[in-house]
Amino acid sequence: MFFKQIRRNAARNRKGNGLFFGSLVIAIIAFYTLLSLGGQDVMRYLATVESVAVAKLMRMLPLVYAVSLFFVFFLVYFACRYQTDSRRREFGLYLMLGMKRSRLFFLLFGETLWSSLTSLLLGVPAALFLTEGISLATANLVGLGIIGHRFSFSAPALFWTVCGTVAVQLLAMLVIGIGLGKKEPVDFFHSEAAGKQKTASAAGSWVFFAAGLGLLFTAYYLGVFRLRSLNPVVLLAVLVCGIAGTFWLYRGLGGMLGRRIRRKNPDAVGLWTFTARQVQEQVWSQYRALAVSSLLLLLSLACISYGISMGLGRSNRGRSVDFSLFGQAEEIEAALEADVVRELAEESYPLYLSMLKEPYRSGGELEFDVSQLLHALASVEGTENIIEYFHLEYVMAQSSYNDLLRSMGREEIDLSGGKVALYSSMSDEGDFQRLLEAALQNRVSLGIAGNEYELLPALCNKNVVADRAITLYLALIVPDELYEELADEPQAYCRNLRLRDTAVEELGLMQAVSRLDEWFSHSGLTYDSYLSGIGRKLFYTVAASYLTIYLGLMFWLIANTVIGLKYLIGQRRTRHRYETLAMLGADMPSMERSVKKQIGSYFSLVICVAVVSSAAALGTMFTSFTSLPADVSTLTVCVYAAVALLVFALIELLYIGVVKRQACREIRRLDVTNRR
Amino acid sequence: MNTQKEILQVQDLTKIYGKGANCTEALKGIGFHVLEGEFLGIMGASGSGKTTLLNCIATMLRPTSGKIILRGKDISGFRGGALADYRGKEIGYLFQEFELLDNLTARENMTLPLSLHGVAAAEAEERIQSLAALLDIAPVLDKFPAQMSGGQKQRVAAARALIADPDLVLADEPTGALDSKNSRTLMERLSLINREQHKTIMMVTHDANAASYCSRILLIQDGCLFHELRRNQQTESNAEFYERIVDVIAQLGGGSANVL
Repeated sequence: MFFKQIRRNAARNRKGNGLFFGSLVIAIIAFYTLLSLGGQDVMRYLATVESVAVAKLMRMLPLVYAVSLFFVFFLVYFACRYQTDSRRREFGLYLMLGMKRSRLFFLLFGETLWSSLTSLLLGVPAALFLTEGISLATANLVGLGIIGHRFSFSAPALFWTVCGTVAVQLLAMLVIGIGLGKKEPVDFFHSEAAGKQKTASAAGSWVFFAAGLGLLFTAYYLGVFRLRSLNPVVLLAVLVCGIAGTFWLYRGLGGMLGRRIRRKNPDAVGLWTFTARQVQEQVWSQYRALAVSSLLLLLSLACISYGISMGLGRSNRGRSVDFSLFGQAEEIEAALEADVVRELAEESYPLYLSMLKEPYRSGGELEFDVSQLLHALASVEGTENIIEYFHLEYVMAQSSYNDLLRSMGREEIDLSGGKVALYSSMSDEGDFQRLLEAALQNRVSLGIAGNEYELLPALCNKNVVADRAITLYLALIVPDELYEELADEPQAYCRNLRLRDTAVEELGLMQAVSRLDEWFSHSGLTYDSYLSGIGRKLFYTVAASYLTIYLGLMFWLIANTVIGLKYLIGQRRTRHRYETLAMLGADMPSMERSVKKQIGSYFSLVICVAVVSSAAALGTMFTSFTSLPADVSTLTVCVYAAVALLVFALIELLYIGVVKRQACREIRRLDVTNRR
Repeated sequence: MNTQKEILQVQDLTKIYGKGANCTEALKGIGFHVLEGEFLGIMGASGSGKTTLLNCIATMLRPTSGKIILRGKDISGFRGGALADYRGKEIGYLFQEFELLDNLTARENMTLPLSLHGVAAAEAEERIQSLAALLDIAPVLDKFPAQMSGGQKQRVAAARALIADPDLVLADEPTGALDSKNSRTLMERLSLINREQHKTIMMVTHDANAASYCSRILLIQDGCLFHELRRNQQTESNAEFYERIVDVIAQLGGGSANVL
């Protein structure tokens, strides 16, 4: 009987609170996806080429999981409170009929456990399906078919998903249960009234609102314009101003809404005043929840936009050379004669890259005169470190770099008429390439052995060897005849090879690279392949986009559930108001419209601040502590971020729609006629 | 009195709760009429059916059979928009627990029935001010219910019931949640409105004191009307009518244990 009741109640809870149940299933899918990351094809492959980085990432996962559980606790807590609130009379009745409090707790715990199991039964198969899908899709996308797909069921991931979900639910129910245990049966028969209408002074509200706005704009300004050097004091100021600003803004907003209501009141018709007062009341009593939700949405928007734009931005960049072959020219020529090479690769070309001759490096009389370049650098803000550690040690032949550009289908550089070009393949972090480019805009000249050479205004940055681990801090691209003069070892450094585009399209990049890799590995040649480079690139893609998108999704889910449930709890507490409205002549459609407007306004208040702040946050990210990859245009990233925002807006609208449906269902349940 | 028009006719009204063997007949074919400008009291023991009767007239309950005709229209058949219009425009309802919306100011609560029917508060400012003066609530017009006393709340609720100038004001134990001083104030104001504005009021009450302000009282027992008391407006004071009510209740019902 007792267990039958548990099952029946749990089923009723699921039906009555589909919003929460759906969110929980999504959370379970997200948990499993995160925890089983190590078993996915891409990660298994990455572990073979980037084992240290992958191990680091894997060590981070439990922490990320714990953080998500912490946030999911609030989701579950509010949802359980919403459920228990709606069953107060039932609990009171159980107690009055002689049910012991301990039995009531067991009933609630049993229901929670049953709900957890049901959500797991739905969530885990969905998660398995999804992770397999992601695994296959990612593998196919990057051409990892060679590795062979393996069904990636992860028992530990399942174990921790189950443990986390059940534990969080039971903990939330325990907290609620303790609260219920302190109540007398009579308390259960009266629904918890909405808090007394608070009235804040107009001046006080103004002060909070204005101070909140001021702090937020200060945070935006500091973030976008003053955080470039990643100064911890500025970072702290941004965080404090941003968080305090958001809280104060919402704190003052209630009073501001009150002013607007009073002003519009005399002309208001229908349920306008009621709707506005409902929203104002929610803002007044829930300003902390609104601020927290807005900050969570901000985190979510920032994470998702950043993850998607960086992930996609990275995945398309940087492929210039697929193989760099080292060794005797004859050996290399012989290896290139093979059918498989002819079939898959385009023409090869030698790379003339060398250290500068000693006199040009050590400050002798033939040393470069870089004073103009340093002067130009000094005129660009944030270049102190570059100037301090400036050194130019490598030189590259123009023909080699042009061969590379040609193989990529890019326009070649022209160094005729006494020009040279600056080259760097340093990573994009720290704004190095952008600052150099900025300095080069000033028509800078360079003195070499007494001759003046003009530097091209654009920085050359294509990778000149297959292995991405090799980076050149700074090099000079010079005409071939000058290269002969400057190079310490003028012979070719290596021979580069690029796959035919048709082969890449047909086989996929990874398969094509691997087939050639297999041939060269048996040829006895020393070589680097793009295969090892792609590992690192993939790792960044996975680490940056997977984790940020995962966290973004969790934050989004929790922020929305908190806002949605807070509204629905408030609506249930003020249910009698709708009965009064109906008695005063409000019809059902107008009350439903009012509820929909309230939900729309409530969500908009949270989303608007989050969207504005996230625009500033993205601006901060891309101008301060991370820069865009050199060959990814701002436009591309903006387009990706805009698409992410659009998807976000669509899903958000769907979510708001679900909350509206639930709220309208509650309204339709009001039976004013025959209520007694 | 007899020259007055009938505003409400209740004909053979029955209300049965439950089904089959478990059914309870709360109203057993009650019939009466209310004249325009009358202050009618309904009294009876708990469970006698007086609140069921009021709720049927207020459309909070659907009667099982019978007719309720307000100004010639049978309201028991109202649905949707007609029902909303009836509730907002033709009747005003005064609840025992006030039922003010606690997130609206007194003024906003008062004007709610108007704005629900498309009338802006600005257009009714004169009416707001006159009702506020009449019910002595002008100082609390811009306050929230939490900032008012119980008496003020009930007077704001009365103003809300009267703002749309309804044909009939229904009051369910309006003094039930008030102390004697506030009860007296409220009843004096309602009585004044009844006399000066000729507003028809129908009030359910347990309280003989409150009932003494009425011009006629119907006594109900077990779902049937069993007695009627009329006050002689010209010669009978409140105190005298009160004495008579108490006497009649004692004689007919066997004392307060049965009736009050």
